[in-house]
Amino acid sequence: MPSIVDIAVQNDGFSTLVAAVQAAGLVEVLATGGPFTVFAPNDDAFAKLPPGTVQTLVDNPPQLARILKFHVVSGIWHKDDMAQQATLTSLEGSPIPIRTEPIFEVKNSTVLAADIIASNGIIHVIDNVILMG
Amino acid sequence: MLSTLVWLPIIGSLLIAFVPFKLTAQQSRTFALVISGVVLLWTIRLFTQFDLTNDAFQMHEFMPWLPMLGLNYDLALDGLSLMMIALNSLLTWVALYSSVGSMERPRFFYALILFVSGGVAGAFLAQNLLLFFLLFEIELVPLYLLVSIWGGEKRDYAATKFLLYTALAGVLILTAFLGTAWLGHSTDFSYQQMLQVDLALPTQVVLLSLLLVGFGIKIPLVPFHTWLPDTYVAASPSVAILLGGVLAKLGTYGIFRFGLGMFPEAWSLLSPFLAVWAAASVLYGSVTAIAQKDIKRMVAYSSIGHMGYVMLGGAAFTELSMVGAISQMVSHGLILALLFHLVGVVEAKVGTRQLDQLNGLMNPLRGLPVVSALLVLSGMASAGIPGLVGFITEFLVFQGSYSVFPVQTLLCVVGTGLTAVYFVILINRTCFGRLDNQKAHYGKVSLTEQVPALVLATLVVVLGLQPNWLVHWSAATSRSLVAAVPMTHEVQVAIQPPFQGF
Amino acid sequence: MNDTAVLSPTLSPSTHEFSEVIHRLEAGGSMLPDTPENLKQIIGIYKAYAVPMDFYWRDLLYIAEKVFLNPLPAFKYFISDKYLDRPNAYAGDGADLRIWRGEADAHPELRDFMAKGEFNRKLPKLFHHLWHDRVNMEFAEACMEAMLWHEDINPQFNAYLDGDEYKQNSDLAIRAYFKGNPLMLGLYKLFPDMFLEQVKKLSYYANLGLFWEVMAPVFFEMSDLYDEGKMTTVPEAMDFLVNGIFAVAGRPIFHHAYIDGKCYEIIPKSQGFTWLYEAALPYVEAVFYRTAPFRGTKSYNAQAGQVPSDQKDFHYGILYADVFPVGSAGIPPTLLMQDMLHFLPDYLIEDYQQHGRGEDDILIQLGITFQRSMYNVTSAVIQALRAALLYPLDDPNPDHLKANRQFFEQQIDRFKRPEARLRDVQDQSYR
Repeated sequence: MPSIVDIAVQNDGFSTLVAAVQAAGLVEVLATGGPFTVFAPNDDAFAKLPPGTVQTLVDNPPQLARILKFHVVSGIWHKDDMAQQATLTSLEGSPIPIRTEPIFEVKNSTVLAADIIASNGIIHVIDNVILMG
Repeated sequence: MLSTLVWLPIIGSLLIAFVPFKLTAQQSRTFALVISGVVLLWTIRLFTQFDLTNDAFQMHEFMPWLPMLGLNYDLALDGLSLMMIALNSLLTWVALYSSVGSMERPRFFYALILFVSGGVAGAFLAQNLLLFFLLFEIELVPLYLLVSIWGGEKRDYAATKFLLYTALAGVLILTAFLGTAWLGHSTDFSYQQMLQVDLALPTQVVLLSLLLVGFGIKIPLVPFHTWLPDTYVAASPSVAILLGGVLAKLGTYGIFRFGLGMFPEAWSLLSPFLAVWAAASVLYGSVTAIAQKDIKRMVAYSSIGHMGYVMLGGAAFTELSMVGAISQMVSHGLILALLFHLVGVVEAKVGTRQLDQLNGLMNPLRGLPVVSALLVLSGMASAGIPGLVGFITEFLVFQGSYSVFPVQTLLCVVGTGLTAVYFVILINRTCFGRLDNQKAHYGKVSLTEQVPALVLATLVVVLGLQPNWLVHWSAATSRSLVAAVPMTHEVQVAIQPPFQGF
Repeated sequence: MNDTAVLSPTLSPSTHEFSEVIHRLEAGGSMLPDTPENLKQIIGIYKAYAVPMDFYWRDLLYIAEKVFLNPLPAFKYFISDKYLDRPNAYAGDGADLRIWRGEADAHPELRDFMAKGEFNRKLPKLFHHLWHDRVNMEFAEACMEAMLWHEDINPQFNAYLDGDEYKQNSDLAIRAYFKGNPLMLGLYKLFPDMFLEQVKKLSYYANLGLFWEVMAPVFFEMSDLYDEGKMTTVPEAMDFLVNGIFAVAGRPIFHHAYIDGKCYEIIPKSQGFTWLYEAALPYVEAVFYRTAPFRGTKSYNAQAGQVPSDQKDFHYGILYADVFPVGSAGIPPTLLMQDMLHFLPDYLIEDYQQHGRGEDDILIQLGITFQRSMYNVTSAVIQALRAALLYPLDDPNPDHLKANRQFFEQQIDRFKRPEARLRDVQDQSYR
């Protein structure tokens, strides 16, 4: 079964995320560590950010890593598991608000594809880069 | 020499009023300022000619006028008159300077002010009782007009009240003068001759009482004061400066010159009551001032209190208290003029005199910082803070009168404490606190508007630091005035009079 | 601009006290009304602010990195040439991200003023300094102290400052700095926490310096765009700021000290602190909203509850400030206004001469302009937060719009306080 990183690399539409994970030096952790629940913003999500935002982050791996860690939760959380949860605590440390009804939303992003199973966790594709605060 | 002081302003006044060509407000103001500036310089020249060692009248000027009536043009000067003349010349200039150029009928206004100034100078110099009375009465009309034409709210009411009171004062004074002459079988109304008149003590007491009430209205002393707050408040700042700074002094001057001078025995008899009266005025004026919500009215009431000190000094008639009283007349004139000027500027800029609306004027950029600072200074001077002229003169009065009337003096000292109370209220509400962001778009106070206040403030400080420059002029006169009164009490002076070495 | 046209029909009008402002924000506008006068004022003041800011950030970093723990820092405002030449990371050819098209070293107007001062004469530096004819660095330090003091607004940063790792890093730096100074080392042994506290303060110097290093070029660029006619509305000015905030959000916040040519990483970049979270947002909260009452401007009676017992309730910042006491000696607002006065563009000076008392109360006039301009910066922060944490303004989902509305109303609720100036800046007559 492919790992979280493998799934991201193999599917179209996650090239920015993959590049970011590489720049932040998180490839190995996401490929072998875990299990994790990853909220994966697609390329369109990154494109919504104003110009320069991603570039500055890519230039500064620790800061980029912090933002990316906000998209990762320890453990495996299916959509159904989250129905009971108002928030999950990200690896970054800040809470992520979750809603599954009426639509599955993670903070201010909408989940485009839920419950993609990987060998070391689970992926939910989201349409926005989520930020702490 | 002396006539110049009287006639120059009057001629100037007539010129402004009647020259056939057009004069703008600014031109009339400038012209009046030049005239009063010359008078001021002339007054300074007077100081250089004044003989300090001579305790009699100097620089006599005599011209027969209506000898059969005993009315002659007779001017002379002693230390008391000199101080009053100086105050008059200075405050006339200040009043003119602090007038606003834009007003209705400016020529008439400046003509009247100059006329009043000349008349008052004449009254201070007159050596003939009828001449004094004439000049005393004649300034009434211009002042009535000055208040009723250029005054603020309720000016007609105030002017009429002023006219009625002062006219009544005039009647009483005239009665006393005529009584003195007729009962004393004098053919002449000259002051020197009147001094020779010998009357029985009861007659003296009656005549003195008439004078005291007459001049008491003018000063005014409680309970004859009710015209004062209305008139001072209704008058424009320039006129208020003249009224409070100079005209009120006609009252105390008259009491000292004619009351004390002509009826020393009666004076000695009545003096304890006078001291009580003075203390009552001081306390009443101060306590009433505390209750005021209008800063101009507050300053007006403070004037009642401060004129009380002058009376106290006169009542005690020790050499020290007499010098103190004369100096207090000057210092009160300076401080009151300063206060009225500043209050006038505040009202002109802020548009209100109400304590509950004024706030934060000390603000360095949008407030009136210089005016506020000067207001603090004048409040301190008025409350008798050491280093300022108010302290020196009040202290002289108290020092001189304590040995004679300890209780009354202590009551007056309480009055100075109350002065501090209302000035702290005034300054705290007006200068401190937060400037209202919505309303506080006041105009700038130009240097021109500050000049009168700066001149007066400088005098208040300089004379406070070097009081000899103020007191030594009237020392000889005080000595001779006091010497004429029979001593009914042992005078104890704790410190040597400070004015001997200059 | 017609606000209602942009409003989604699914949302009823706001009933908030400042509904007009809420609708304007929902339409992508600023708290400041979009008028040419407002635009002129805020851009002019941004430029006047940017020049002294160019000094502030350089000197803040100079103090944090070079002056460090000097026990007698009499010359901490005598910035070295190296720091004057230090390239701004967001200007010049070698920029990480070129925000301003100008040069990366100190602004020419700043250099000119530093050399000649108000005297407009070249005199010894010490003379200008003692005569206070210089950039008022005390203002920058007051801002830094506000951030330091309101510690609850920067939890992650402060948690690190209180941690063991920070203690060890500072220990190394302190020992290196006082090497061969037995007196100071002895004191350090006796009072280690005192020294640690000083280093924490220096970390805030670095924090604020790195924050302003971004803002100076942002403001310079806005001024240039305005002069070129490319920035024509207040919302454009706000959007430029929003984009700027996003673009540099991930900039690292760190504290390095250079002692004897060696770099001591007191807060390493690898700690992951970011410009947005650890500097910009705390700065806005500490300086725009909270700060502390300035001495000499008003008397407060703590017993009567006139000073809040909770630091969270402090509202003395520029958005609430009574600008009228500006001019009182030594208070931080006066210091800043005095600094900006030296670099006002001509069009603002002309504007001020025609109002109020002209040159005489120009400090207050520009202070109120500054207040307006900071309402615009705060609007940018609010819009940036809305974009980062909530939904687009044209989101089709009414629930999302409702969430946006709620967020805006929450933010504007803070200006319901009587001392807030939001109502004043709606009106051009407030000046």
